[in-house]
Amino acid sequence: MRPLDPRLLRYAHAARRFLLVGALLGLAQTLVVIAFAWLLTRAITFTVAGEPLRTIAPTLAALAGVVVLRSVLIWLLEVAANRGAAQVKSQLRAKVIARLAERGPDWVASRQSARLSTVVTTGLDALDNYFARYLPQLLLTLIATPILIIVILSQDLISGLIVIVVIPLIPLFMILIGRVTQSVQQEQWQAMQRLSTGFLDVVGGLGTLKIYGRERRQFDRIRSITEEYRTRTMKVLRVSFLSGFVLELAASLSVAIIAVSIGLRLIDGALLLGVGLFVLLLAPEVFLPVRQVGAQFHAAADGLAAAEELFAILDDEMTPEVSQADAVAHTVQLGVGSLVLNGVSVRHGDTLVIDHLHAEFAPGQLSVLRGVSGVGKSTLVAALLGFVPFTGTLTLDGVTVPAGATRGWLAWAGQRPGLFRGTVANNVALGAASVDSTGPDHRLVVQSLRWAGAAEVSPATVLGVNGEGLSGGQAQRIAAARAIYRALATDCHVLILDEPSSALDSDAEAGLLVGLRHLADQGRVVIVVSHRAAVAAAADNVIELQELTHV
Amino acid sequence: MSEATLHPHTRDVLRLAQPHPRWFVPGLLAGIGSAVMAVALLACSAWLITVAAEMPSLAVLGLAVVGVRAFAIFRSVFRYLERVSSHDAAFRQLAELRLGMFRRIVPIAPAGLASTGRGDLLTRLVRDVDDLQDLPLRVVQPLLVAGTTALLSVVGIWLIVPAAGLTLLVCLLLAGILGTLFSGTLSARADRELAPLRGSLADEVLEIIENLDVLTAFDALTPRLEQLARTDARLRQATLRRSVGIGVQSAVVALFAGAATLGALYFGVPALDSGGGLLSPVLLGPTVIVAVLVPMAVFEVFGMIPLAGSAWRQVRVSATRVADIVPAAVPGEIPVDVVDPLTLCASDCASGPVVLELADLAARWPGQHEPGVAGVTLRLAPGDRVHLAGPSGAGKTTLAQTLERFLDYTGSYRLNGVEARLLAQSEVRRMVGLCEQRPWLFDDSIRQNLLFARDTTTDAELEAVLARVGLAEWSRARGGLDARVGERGALVSGGQAQRIALARALLADFPVLIVDEPTANVDSAGADALVRDILTAAADAHRAVLLISHTPVPDELVTARVTLPARAGGPTVISPCGAVRGGAAIS
Repeated sequence: MRPLDPRLLRYAHAARRFLLVGALLGLAQTLVVIAFAWLLTRAITFTVAGEPLRTIAPTLAALAGVVVLRSVLIWLLEVAANRGAAQVKSQLRAKVIARLAERGPDWVASRQSARLSTVVTTGLDALDNYFARYLPQLLLTLIATPILIIVILSQDLISGLIVIVVIPLIPLFMILIGRVTQSVQQEQWQAMQRLSTGFLDVVGGLGTLKIYGRERRQFDRIRSITEEYRTRTMKVLRVSFLSGFVLELAASLSVAIIAVSIGLRLIDGALLLGVGLFVLLLAPEVFLPVRQVGAQFHAAADGLAAAEELFAILDDEMTPEVSQADAVAHTVQLGVGSLVLNGVSVRHGDTLVIDHLHAEFAPGQLSVLRGVSGVGKSTLVAALLGFVPFTGTLTLDGVTVPAGATRGWLAWAGQRPGLFRGTVANNVALGAASVDSTGPDHRLVVQSLRWAGAAEVSPATVLGVNGEGLSGGQAQRIAAARAIYRALATDCHVLILDEPSSALDSDAEAGLLVGLRHLADQGRVVIVVSHRAAVAAAADNVIELQELTHV
Repeated sequence: MSEATLHPHTRDVLRLAQPHPRWFVPGLLAGIGSAVMAVALLACSAWLITVAAEMPSLAVLGLAVVGVRAFAIFRSVFRYLERVSSHDAAFRQLAELRLGMFRRIVPIAPAGLASTGRGDLLTRLVRDVDDLQDLPLRVVQPLLVAGTTALLSVVGIWLIVPAAGLTLLVCLLLAGILGTLFSGTLSARADRELAPLRGSLADEVLEIIENLDVLTAFDALTPRLEQLARTDARLRQATLRRSVGIGVQSAVVALFAGAATLGALYFGVPALDSGGGLLSPVLLGPTVIVAVLVPMAVFEVFGMIPLAGSAWRQVRVSATRVADIVPAAVPGEIPVDVVDPLTLCASDCASGPVVLELADLAARWPGQHEPGVAGVTLRLAPGDRVHLAGPSGAGKTTLAQTLERFLDYTGSYRLNGVEARLLAQSEVRRMVGLCEQRPWLFDDSIRQNLLFARDTTTDAELEAVLARVGLAEWSRARGGLDARVGERGALVSGGQAQRIALARALLADFPVLIVDEPTANVDSAGADALVRDILTAAADAHRAVLLISHTPVPDELVTARVTLPARAGGPTVISPCGAVRGGAAIS
């Protein structure tokens, strides 16, 4: 792990500002630390010299001022760190989401979407500790350590030299120990990971275990996996804690060495008490930021790991494969013009999925696309939608449709319902509400729901996140209703439904087929991807996709 | 941080997390040792220097030199021992903690954990249980170490300059109380303000990322992104407003640390003037200097306390969540064994054919007012293969959970004529098996995932049963019985998981087998083949099979169809399909 990833500064401007403010506050804090040590030494030497309280009073007053100033600076640095974290998180989040939107659905689908959204939200929160605890200490290490060393050197050369010798030993030893222990840690890591999920495995599978009458036996299993987890983890920790040990030992031993050397020189009279005390008070302060950096290293590493995943997305400068061509004004009257695929080939990654497909979908017809699982039906739909690049030509009413152009003429429902929080009406009228501010057209929503075979669902029903609250079959029909609404509201020429009835019972399926027939009768091209016999029976036209034999 | 505000049940959960003193005390002692050494290092160094300045005998000085070095070394050694020992103690307790939680979960799972039905909540529960380890490590240990060290230092300074000792005590108390109070209120308010904003931001991000295809296809992406930007801005603004309060605790602690030093100086100077009572004048100066400097070191140790405070808030949240999800008592809807060995049926129903009869059966989920399923009348005899259909929400899965005795029932449920509630649950489960909608595969080999159904099975028998469920080729291609299925069956598709679950059920040879929505997580093209294979493999003259499925099933595969009405309580419709006659009655 690099202590400070330059990409953080590149992608989040707020990080630069925080570093500047933090550096200034760090400098001020260092000066306050020196002032405190100097004033305290002064007060103590006066005391030892037997001066009365009256003489010392001004020094005490100054000391009080410094104490207050120090608290204020500590407060300001924390405030700055937290503000910085909030702004950086917000900037990174905005950048990544914009990048994902630019890349398009196919690119996003090739990554784990749940993982992506966790990284963008709670994963980024790990940066809080990075900013609040780690970065300020890193700044202090860079600013305070050299200044304090110079001050100590100027007061007492020997103590300064001791510090200069010890300070570089700390990172050196930590790296050495890290190297030596790395192999031990990696050996244990996988076993530890598996054991740490062992309890989840037992609790999650408890229903299954009870079915087989095995629940009682799990007590021994839990005890043994937890014991093994402990043994293995402790093996790793015993070694990991060594680096902390070295850090502490170096810091406290060098303070001890400085104290002893000052003491011995005081006896000789080679050094004044004031100087000795001043150096003794500053010596631990030299090591404090370095020790904190070490202590916060793991918290920081978590934050950086989250940021790392985002950087990987942002760094990926590859231009999107689908060029975002300008929207072609493409208005086709209902009832005229077929959708024609002429020698269309689609690749998914390196695999050729569709090879020179010729197909014609005529208006007024219900066409069904069939084929065994994995033959590329959904990939073909993605190509029609413009999510996946293809070769060959796609024409609508004789006019060629470029791969990346927006599809104003197309309404679609995918295999996954993909519903949103909000009312069913708002879900059904998705995208249309922003076109005119009057909101969803209630009459049209009801009609769409009816034609999707979902007449029993009230448009006012409120759904949770990702459409929670509906059964699988209901969600599927709402998604179909959404496509139907778009087709009706914007006079869309083509309607494509991908497996719209896989979760439906036969009654609901029949209802949907009636609705689709209405839409075809209005002069639309209606394409349904389905393996269901009832759908094929209702179709005017069945297109079988053949499996490509890959060599 | 008051214990009094904790729910007793939460307190029970927390008690489980605290290790036995036998394991906890060594780490605690090492921790106190390390903290005391840290204070002593500064005290001894300061003393060494001031004594040296007065040029005393070398013997006194030599002692100090030895002390300084020893304190420096032992401070780090003790710290290392503390970390190793306290982590070991926490891990030892983890086993007790997990077993304690498991003991409570066993009687109520899986129906009583229905609120955790979403996989992530179950993961959350398990993580919460594991997070309770922080109680000894990051809450109790630091509080005791810092508290003891502070107390010892106060006593030490009080012996030298009583007023300085009292000042230190007051400063420590104020810093502790005010700091905790401030940060407690502030973080509570922040949670109230920020948590909903964070939640809605996370939801919006999830919706956009998961449904990017839908938003793009419906030209709805731009307004969504604008809405997200507004939510993000609201969260950012709220966080910025709150940030002012964030550093208050550290600032308060730093302020009182300074005040303690100033107080020690203020009271130390006159003490020096008036001359010490016990100490010789030569040693008095250095000792007073120690009293002046020690508060700095004490406050450095004291810095653990704010961290312990925030760790405590997290532990409390975890403990509360665990206590909420895992109820203290078994809810009424979950059956509890009526242990009456007289009614335990003899060997005749444990093996051999079983007739299952339901009459006006109803069941309810914990926390629900309406029954999940009601008015079910049904008879399953050996050789029957019944397709149970019905719209979603009709209670098909509720029925399966009830037959498995995960939920209690009203009405009648008889197995070979004996009322099921009079039988031990384990007895019922020997007769009635279930392939769940989401079969759970354990993160182990295929062999282990099959063996627990009947652990005397030979490899040849396992391979035979895999062949019966259509997995022979698949299993060979993956390297046979030793192939792993991955965490939560991650390396296995939905259809394969169902087939493994079926193989497991066939090995256990349940006289009655319920298969709950096997195609729920299977892509639509594979669903028909799966249903066909399941019914073919499970068919047996001695076995009754109840297939729950919303998708149509070909007539030749089943002997009867039952349709549950949409609303629980309506009449069960049984349609003949050969063996079963119609009407709402029993065949």
